[in-house]
Amino acid sequence: MTHSLHRRGSYDELKDDFVVLGCPATGVNKPGSAPKTQKFLSICYKVGPINLGDMKTGNIYNTTMEDILSRVTDSTIVECTFDNRDKIVELLKELDRDRPGISVTISGVTDVVEQCMQEAGLGHIHSLEYSLGTWGKTEKLPDYEILKTVTMCGHAMIASDLVRKMVRDVKRGRRTVRECVVELAVIRRIKRFPSFRKVRFALQNRR
Amino acid sequence: MKVDPDKCIACKRCFPYCPMGRIHSFKEHESIPGRIYIEIDQEACTDCGMCFRADICPVKALYQPQEEWPREVRGILSNPLIEFKGSQVPGRGTEEMKTTDVKGTFPPGVVGIAIELGRPGVGAYFRDVEIVAMELMGADIGYEMAEENPVTHFMSDKTTGKLRDDVLGEKATSAIIEGICKLEKLSEAIRALQRASEKIESVFTVAVITKVTPDGGVPTKPILEEMGVFYSINTKNNIGIGEPFFDFYGDNN
Repeated sequence: MTHSLHRRGSYDELKDDFVVLGCPATGVNKPGSAPKTQKFLSICYKVGPINLGDMKTGNIYNTTMEDILSRVTDSTIVECTFDNRDKIVELLKELDRDRPGISVTISGVTDVVEQCMQEAGLGHIHSLEYSLGTWGKTEKLPDYEILKTVTMCGHAMIASDLVRKMVRDVKRGRRTVRECVVELAVIRRIKRFPSFRKVRFALQNRR
Repeated sequence: MKVDPDKCIACKRCFPYCPMGRIHSFKEHESIPGRIYIEIDQEACTDCGMCFRADICPVKALYQPQEEWPREVRGILSNPLIEFKGSQVPGRGTEEMKTTDVKGTFPPGVVGIAIELGRPGVGAYFRDVEIVAMELMGADIGYEMAEENPVTHFMSDKTTGKLRDDVLGEKATSAIIEGICKLEKLSEAIRALQRASEKIESVFTVAVITKVTPDGGVPTKPILEEMGVFYSINTKNNIGIGEPFFDFYGDNN
């Protein structure tokens, strides 16, 4: 459940990092929710996310928007990633004007999301969730620079070894940061995936 | 996840894709002299399917067999594409705060506390999950486990946090304990989790959910600050546009 909440990074690295989820509610509005979810996705797509998709179908780096829309069901949870606060304000205004009907959650720096809500005329954040960090045998975790990339995937599917290999590949000129980011988006399938800016921070800081 | 010894050419391309790290070893093929293949440590593997979905094996040697109980819990918790039938939500957990605006899951005066064991990249055995759940329930703070969560489903006693004995030796990439308690019990819950953190062999992340007040206040914030507990600058934020809107204050606010 906690997914993008546990992303690590400084204010500067996270302030333009937004993950937007659309989710119907089991037992309330899930039956017949597919058109609402499609509407939510279409609004997000119009605003211009850096990635978008759903858990089972994939994202715009490994399939098409038409395919994603056509395969939405009542139980689909969809996500979009943005790397620009102005687009979040624009998105919130669009969602307020033409409400899709499903619940919407935005992960991001709290103060920035609150400002965006205010600018869009939506008032305060409705409910929020803090991360209290990682506890226990934290010495087993990879180092902080690696964590900044692997925590971008909420399901912990990005391997530390893969990030290390990508760092080596970039250093040796075998591939570019952009190629690495696209591979992460493609193999990860889901759309919670990172802004190029954030991965660039993470990979280049390893140089 | 397993490797077909007859297909594998031991090229090692799958190695870096495993979220659990290097859990592979080389084996000599039993009937083909000089042939080497890769074997995945089944004890360490959580059946998350990442290496398979990455589609990097040039000879399609990776495959996921249908697992029987209790091994199948690994895939349920670790493979985000598997939908847990209890919650009808793909992934490991529930809708938690994603739909609180229409379900009223976390009303004023109530906090959600989620403990996710194993991530990132460490993994967690259910015996560690049980330690955390029992410490939390043993604090006697009225913590109520989320019904539709897979971990709750694997408990033999939800009042104590005891898990079924047959799952204790199973491992997941991540497993989430979810539930609610009253806001005034938050500090006691955190202290229970601090105790649990010293007893386990894995790691866990802690998340705290609250309804924001009509004037923008965050009721959990002063409690966390008074305790000196770290909380993140980034949060997950329900923006409150789901329909029908749950009436939290009885006046459509």
